[in-house]
Order: sequence, then C-alpha cells, then structure tokens
Amino acid sequence: HIQYERVGADVTMKCGSMDWDAAVTWTANGTDIDESHLNGSYLILKNVDLSQSGQYSCYEGSSWHLKYQTYLRVGTPPKEPVLMCRSNNYPKGFYCSWHLPTPTYIPNSFNISVIHGTKDMVCEKDAVPKNRCHIRYLQLFSTVKYKVTLTVTNALGKNFTSLTFDEFAIVKPDPPENVVAKPVPNNPRRLEVSWQNPSSWPDPESFPLKFFLRYRPLILDQWQHVELSDGTSHTITDAYAGKEYIIQVAAKDNDIGTWSDWSVAVHATPWTEEPKHLTTEAQITETTSASTSSFMAPPTTKICDKGAVVGSGAVAVCWTAGLVVAAYSVLFI
Amino acid sequence: MAAADSPSSALRRRDLCSRGIRLAGKMRTDVVDLLDAYVEQQGLDASASVAAVEGVPVAAVERWDEQTGTQRLLENLAAYRAFRALLAQMLEEQREQLGEADAGLGRALAAVLLQVSAFAYHLEELLRLESRGIPSEEGDGPPAPPRLSLFEQKLRGLGVLRELAQWAVRSVRDLRQLAKPSPATATAPGLAESP
Repeated sequence: HIQYERVGADVTMKCGSMDWDAAVTWTANGTDIDESHLNGSYLILKNVDLSQSGQYSCYEGSSWHLKYQTYLRVGTPPKEPVLMCRSNNYPKGFYCSWHLPTPTYIPNSFNISVIHGTKDMVCEKDAVPKNRCHIRYLQLFSTVKYKVTLTVTNALGKNFTSLTFDEFAIVKPDPPENVVAKPVPNNPRRLEVSWQNPSSWPDPESFPLKFFLRYRPLILDQWQHVELSDGTSHTITDAYAGKEYIIQVAAKDNDIGTWSDWSVAVHATPWTEEPKHLTTEAQITETTSASTSSFMAPPTTKICDKGAVVGSGAVAVCWTAGLVVAAYSVLFI
Repeated sequence: MAAADSPSSALRRRDLCSRGIRLAGKMRTDVVDLLDAYVEQQGLDASASVAAVEGVPVAAVERWDEQTGTQRLLENLAAYRAFRALLAQMLEEQREQLGEADAGLGRALAAVLLQVSAFAYHLEELLRLESRGIPSEEGDGPPAPPRLSLFEQKLRGLGVLRELAQWAVRSVRDLRQLAKPSPATATAPGLAESP
C-alpha cells in the first residue's frame, strides 16, 4: 500500500481497524515513533517533508501484531513540463522530448498527443531515452501546423503544455561530425578544415546542408565566421602565424529551419618553420650562418625570399645564401 | 526515352534544373518578404490559420519521395499556372482596393507574379526536354470566385502567398531530385513513364 502526500501537508494515519483508544506502536522504517506524534492510535505527521517518506507500520500494543502498514511517498504535483520538438532527420520525421522543471519525487506518467490539422498522429515512444517520442512525416510541405500536447500526471495532480509549429520551423540538424583541422605545409597562415554531414541527416544529396565555420586564436575572444553553401571543407587563409586556433562548424538545411549547435571544438596551429633535426652538415651550416638567420629553412623551402635578393637580372644573388657560401669557403681554406 | 538519356540531354536537364533551383530559391525569398509586407499592410495576424481555399494549389504531398520526375514536373506546372492566375487576381484586387495608396505592395506582387510566370515557363522547358507534351492551360486556373468581402479577399491572399512559399521550397526539392543522374534502368527514377 502506497500513500502519496504533498510536501507541507498534514498527514493522519489510522492503525487499520484499531479503535482510537487502542494501545499501539508506530514505527517509521523500523524505528519507533515518539508518542508525541500520536493522537490516540492515530499517527499525526504535520507539515511533512521529503525526509519523512518511508515505510510506516502500526503494531498492536501488547501482542506486537502488525495491524497496518503503508509506504508514505512525499512529493509534489507536477509543474508545467518543458517540451521541445525538433526534426534532425528531415524529411523523415521529428521527435519531441520533455522534462519537468523541478522533480516531483514521486512517479509521473506522461501522455503526448500530436495533431496535424484534424488528424491525430501517433508519437512512438523511444525506449531510450524514456522522455522522448518520434513521429514520421506523412506529408511534406504542408502549411497546416502541428500541435503537440504533453500531459504529465502523478498521484498528486496533473499539468500540461502545448507546442504549435510549422513543419519547417523545427528543422535543426545535428552538428557536423568528425571535424578535422590541419596545418598546410609551408603555409604559415593556413589551416585546412574538413568535416562530415551529421550521420542522422538521412539524405544530404536531396536535402543538402550548408555550413557555418567559426574560428579564433585561443588568445583572442573575437570569432571569425565563414558561411559555406556547399562542400565539407574549407581552408582558412588568414590565420595568425604560430598561434593555436579553436575551430567549430555548424550546419543548417540549405532552405529551411535553423542552425545546428556548434560541433565539438578542434584545435590546430598553422605550419611554422622549425629548426631541422641536427645532422653533421646541418650543424656546420647552422654554426656558420648563425649570425645571419635564426633557423635553417626546411629543404623544400627556397632559401631566397624576395626581400633578401640583391642585384638585378642574371646577377641577382640571395644575400643569405651568399653568406652561407662564404662561410663554407672560410671553413675549407 | 533515348532523348532523355543522351549526354547532351542529361547536361541540358541538369543545367535547367540548376537554374530552376536558383529561380525557385530567389522566388521563395521574395515571396517570404512579400508575405511579411502583405500581413502588415492588410492588418492581418501572421499566425492566423487560413482554411484551404478552393483553387489554391496545396503544396502538401504524401509519399513525396516516391513521385516520378514526370509527376513532379506536371504537378509543379499546374501549381504555378494556378498561382499565376491567382496573383494576377490579387494584383487587380489590390489596385481596386487601394489604387495608388500602396504602390510598394503592388510592385512586390507584380515582381513575384513575373517570377512565377518565368518559373512556369522554365518547367515547360523541362517537360519539352523530356519530350513530354505540355498540358494545355484550358480549364486551368481557379474557378471564377464568388464575390468575396474585403476581409475574405485578404485572407485568401494570405493563403495564396503561404502556399506559394511552400511550393517554392517544394520546387527546389523536386528539381534536385530531377537533377540526380538516372540509373541505366528501364524505370529511371527521375522520369519514369507517367501512368
């Protein structure tokens, strides 16, 4: 036997069929209850709180026969539930999920109804999570709104909420998946970003997604944004050299609905020139050219850059290379 | 359908579909803007439900993914021909009601009407490409409407523009389906023989 009572209520428990003046002992979860809580054989609990939930038993005074037992559950009636509906798998269907803003501490049951115009639709409950159900679209491109009503009931009361929406308004894909950002060799200001359509989006060929990419160096708060109408990759060309970046991508159906949440953030740092791992030859070169340059350029990089060229025409010589040659010459004299 | 399967036909179809998608996309943007302006100018509640009006093509469709290419083209063509007539009627009513008082709305209506006409022509091109006969327009268009009150006219206009906005989205989707390369089977999914 379960007895549900509201928080703050005054609860009176009778000891079964025992007379008011019978000698009884009440226990709560096996612990004797002080006589001050008794009115005759009745147990009086004033202004009950959650901690008073438990098993209450009443025993006849002398024989200790169990005369009555109940499980007291203290809780609250449900507040208005929070309901959300969304289509992350358009055009297949949509799902609705709900929760209570505050717990009731007692069991609740939920009933959901979906009406499209005058037609009742069945929202099939998901096994996991339990507070979710899904509906298959029977029609597409309808101007008739959907109305979803969720009623929550428990032993102490009921409450409900409704949502009314258009087919297009609730379309919101899941974020893009497998976002990868990589430096571009020999390009200190570029980062190559790629991603995939969310796996929950059933037909990206017929219902293509567009994307929004945002990126910033970790040291700054301001995001850069790029909107991309097709493709699942993009090259950032204005990265600050040597700075670590944080990058995220969001998706939206090309024509309807709203943007997804941002993807998981990825980090990447653009390519930078680095010292070669030292070998004998490299060591010599580095020692002799130490006064002219901080690092040795990687083998694929030209030694000359535009600013280091002196002279003109066929006689133009890179001054950095010239010094290296001169250093070698000095070494072998 | 040898003509439909030749490389040049396939390229032409893809080109027409791509252009049609752009046309429909632009049309939708303009219809949505027009809808906002219409609601405001006509003093309507944007969230008002409008019952289906006779003669206004309903965009809602069941089993959309199972439609053949021909069905898509024919249904689209019938719809936009109807919208052409409905918008012309709205424009006329607008002029009667307001004269020059709301030239902006009239101009926006006329611009959308032009796009609808262009899109209908575009659909006819696609049908011609597939060697499909173009259905005649005889008997198309809305039946002569009973004389509506001013408020009823406004509500009908709201219904027309809402359905047109839905159709513009549907047309983009339809054309994307049409643009898909057909598998080399007897019943090409894009353009199977109509029943």
